[in-house]
Amino acid sequence: MAQEFSVIGKKVERVDAFERLIGKAQYTADVYLPGMLYAKVLRSPHPHARVLNIDASQAEKLTGVRAVFTVADVPDFAIHKRATTPTVEMPVLSSVARYVGDEIMAVAAINEDLAEEALELVKVDYEVLPFVLEVEEAMKPGAPKLYPEGNVIQEKDDILVRGNIEEGFRQADVILEGNYKTNMIQHVTLEPRITVASWSGKRLTMWDSHKNPFRLRTDMARALKIKVNQIRIMTPYVGGDFGDKGAIERQHIITALLAKKAGRPVKLEFTREENFLACHHRYPTTWQFKYGAKQDGTLTAIQVKLFADGGAFYHFDFAIQAIDIPKIVYRCPNVKLEGFNVFTNKPEGGYMRCVGHPQGMFPQEVHMDRLAEKLAMDPLEFRLKNYARKEDGDQDKKLPFASIGLEECARRGAEQIGWTANWKQPGSSPGPVKRGIGVAFHSCGHGKITAPMSAIIKLDPDGTVEVLSGLTDTGGWQKTTMALIVAEELGIPVTNLEVTTGDTDATSDTGSTGGSRGTPSAGVAMIAAAKDAKNQLLEAAADILQKKKEDLEIREGRIFFKSGEASIPYGDILAKIPSPIVGRGTGKPPRNVTMQTFGAHFAEVAVDTRTGKVELLRLVAAHDVGRVINRLGCENQIQGGATMGIGYGLTEQMYFDKDTGISVNPSMIDFKVPSMLDIPAIEPIMVESADPFGPFGAKGVGEPPYGVPAPAIANAIYNATGVRIHEIPMTIKAVMDGLNSKKA
Amino acid sequence: MGDEGKILKEKKKMGDEPVTISRRGFLKGVGTGTVGVALTGIPFVLPTEAIGALPAGVKEAMVQMQVNGSTYRVKVKSHWTLLDVLRREIGLTGTKKACNRSSCGACTVIVEGKSAYACSLLAIEMEGKKILTVEGLAAGDSLHTVQQAFSEYGGYQCGYCTSGQMISAKALLDKNPKPTREEVRQGMAGNICRCGAYPKIVESVLGAAAIAK
Repeated sequence: MAQEFSVIGKKVERVDAFERLIGKAQYTADVYLPGMLYAKVLRSPHPHARVLNIDASQAEKLTGVRAVFTVADVPDFAIHKRATTPTVEMPVLSSVARYVGDEIMAVAAINEDLAEEALELVKVDYEVLPFVLEVEEAMKPGAPKLYPEGNVIQEKDDILVRGNIEEGFRQADVILEGNYKTNMIQHVTLEPRITVASWSGKRLTMWDSHKNPFRLRTDMARALKIKVNQIRIMTPYVGGDFGDKGAIERQHIITALLAKKAGRPVKLEFTREENFLACHHRYPTTWQFKYGAKQDGTLTAIQVKLFADGGAFYHFDFAIQAIDIPKIVYRCPNVKLEGFNVFTNKPEGGYMRCVGHPQGMFPQEVHMDRLAEKLAMDPLEFRLKNYARKEDGDQDKKLPFASIGLEECARRGAEQIGWTANWKQPGSSPGPVKRGIGVAFHSCGHGKITAPMSAIIKLDPDGTVEVLSGLTDTGGWQKTTMALIVAEELGIPVTNLEVTTGDTDATSDTGSTGGSRGTPSAGVAMIAAAKDAKNQLLEAAADILQKKKEDLEIREGRIFFKSGEASIPYGDILAKIPSPIVGRGTGKPPRNVTMQTFGAHFAEVAVDTRTGKVELLRLVAAHDVGRVINRLGCENQIQGGATMGIGYGLTEQMYFDKDTGISVNPSMIDFKVPSMLDIPAIEPIMVESADPFGPFGAKGVGEPPYGVPAPAIANAIYNATGVRIHEIPMTIKAVMDGLNSKKA
Repeated sequence: MGDEGKILKEKKKMGDEPVTISRRGFLKGVGTGTVGVALTGIPFVLPTEAIGALPAGVKEAMVQMQVNGSTYRVKVKSHWTLLDVLRREIGLTGTKKACNRSSCGACTVIVEGKSAYACSLLAIEMEGKKILTVEGLAAGDSLHTVQQAFSEYGGYQCGYCTSGQMISAKALLDKNPKPTREEVRQGMAGNICRCGAYPKIVESVLGAAAIAK
């Protein structure tokens, strides 16, 4: 593991730093085309209502309105529809509104003011239906049904049985039960959802704030019944994604078809309020835990029931994602997991950073902490005893982990926080402001190599290099990571590289910038493309220099002769070759193993028992990243993911009025994301387990840091005050309620 | 549709409808009226003017302002914000719109030497004012020390808050060239970064202070 790299692991400035910092990076919001129209969407004011009639005639007559889009214009295409539940689909427009904000129709006008005014002229007749907002209510017989089949879906994979759970509890010396809840939140990407569509003849060009342009292109082709090669999607700069912008959504089809109808480009930009309502959310969950362990700390039984509140639509099997955590982190021979997907008249659940896993990590890591206490074991040692080792791997798929650095994360993190010195008996800290520390472990399958992956590298006549990657940079420094990988493989300075991403015409599909798969997946293809380019260059050099390819070597931007002659810049060769060098590469996921990522967070808090205010003093965030490719980018991902996770644990929650179903706080004033003052200098520790399959050993790290802070903080609050909180967010009120009931 | 449906429809007519009051509506002085009007079928007089005409209560004016050292004369409507005019009319898209409600700081600019949220300033009030945006920080290819520091310390991820962060940093350092870490955190607290680059933003501002010496 003591491998020497030229640029891998170094601190470098971003390859696109200049255009970003002078304000010239073009995000979709910055696209203004001649004659461009502005679209607005009419949204249901009711949480549950049948649309009986839409009269848009007055809106169409309003001077300045160029096109309207109603159910008559909708193509035969469902935004999503699962094979297992074909009648539970999300159409392009809703003829039954299922949440306040559901999309009913749209207009395009010469400016946003007129578009809004046009919406006010649209007359909609609704048949208002009864609605339901809470999972417990939605599951009762006689509850208002969102779909004819009812409000609950359990697919076969939502049930997992391993070993014999009864036997597991028989073997246990200690059994512990617990109920937990997690909150509904939103990504709050600073750049809202936004689409620009423009037709030139039969060809459609779209700009979008999106992380999966090739998939969007394929789905748009299906939706509009045109050929894939007749669509170009541009995603050069994205102002935050966090999972919200990876699929085809209604706005893509609405914008494209309004543009077609109007014969002019159309921009649809969500307001901040719309972004809170009409996007994906982190779905709330309710949990019932029952774990058993022997007195020596060995886990014998894991039993979990989960209710996932998917909101109005069934975008994917929410339950499976969340029950992933109880089955993967710790080894246990007897496991029984049951998940249920439940519909409610709220905005839809969906994809958000580390889908499902933060929902599972909070309850499990609090439960493990409680179990450790019942066993009179140090919570860190209890976890270290039970975490799934390399050979345990995925205990259900029976695949070993390709690499694992969890122990090192835990030991280094513990040392840095001063675990042994600072961990005292819960609540024993003197004075009204009590300090405590807590730990939480992370292990999940995000961060692996998955298809598709491909890359193109062009060598230019002056020795500079163009890297063309289908991997959109959504803020995780992906462009710079690709540049570092190519620079290392080709042996040239990073400053000689220009990276192009976010254009389906100019790059090739390397899949979504999601699932923390970007660096490992795109990186593998990037190395293959660089090797191909190098190979072609060596052949061309051998030909021109009248040498054997084996006697030449490319390093530091030069061609070195093994015979010892003076090296020459390889640009000299490029200037002479007859045809350009274009390197291509793809990759494949590894088989018979599973790539897994790991982490351990240690939180130190100070809780003012007079006010309930929790101050996060320190967060040590240790992650096994396989290999650090892009040091500043990697630190940013850890600090950034952890920051979001702190908000998830302490302050973020979407509230709904129980009488009207209206979202009460769809604004950044009332939905509290962390500010500068809420975040300490988060201390990242990057452990390198050197994955055998990752590019230069790297795994992904975009998502893993998200789910760990909330339970680490919860466990620290307990250590400080003796108060256990079973629900996030752990607001001031929640802490005071806990303190007060403890006094009682 | 049963009685319940009828009653709810009636309730809507009486203005019991969830309505957001847009800034435009407020300035028009119309408030919730338009929605109710449409539903009850009272004849609504459509604007008969040609394209580019003004809704009731909205005026137009020529405004002259200095942005990044250049003078601009722009025809604006009375309800347009400085943010919209910078981006859409003048073409300076470096300043971003993220909340449009003074709740995030992405649109921070400097007006007459003080930092301000452009989404909450009316363009018509900018007559004769000197404005600095992110595009005015660099001198040609030479980055401002704040920009250099953000690059060196990596104080940015998706970049959408970055213009506002750097402008706030400049305003802070202009007033306090040697801030402590805590003064930096307080001074930058009006700029939200959802990506969570806060630790590196602090390093960048402290770094800029060090470079500038």
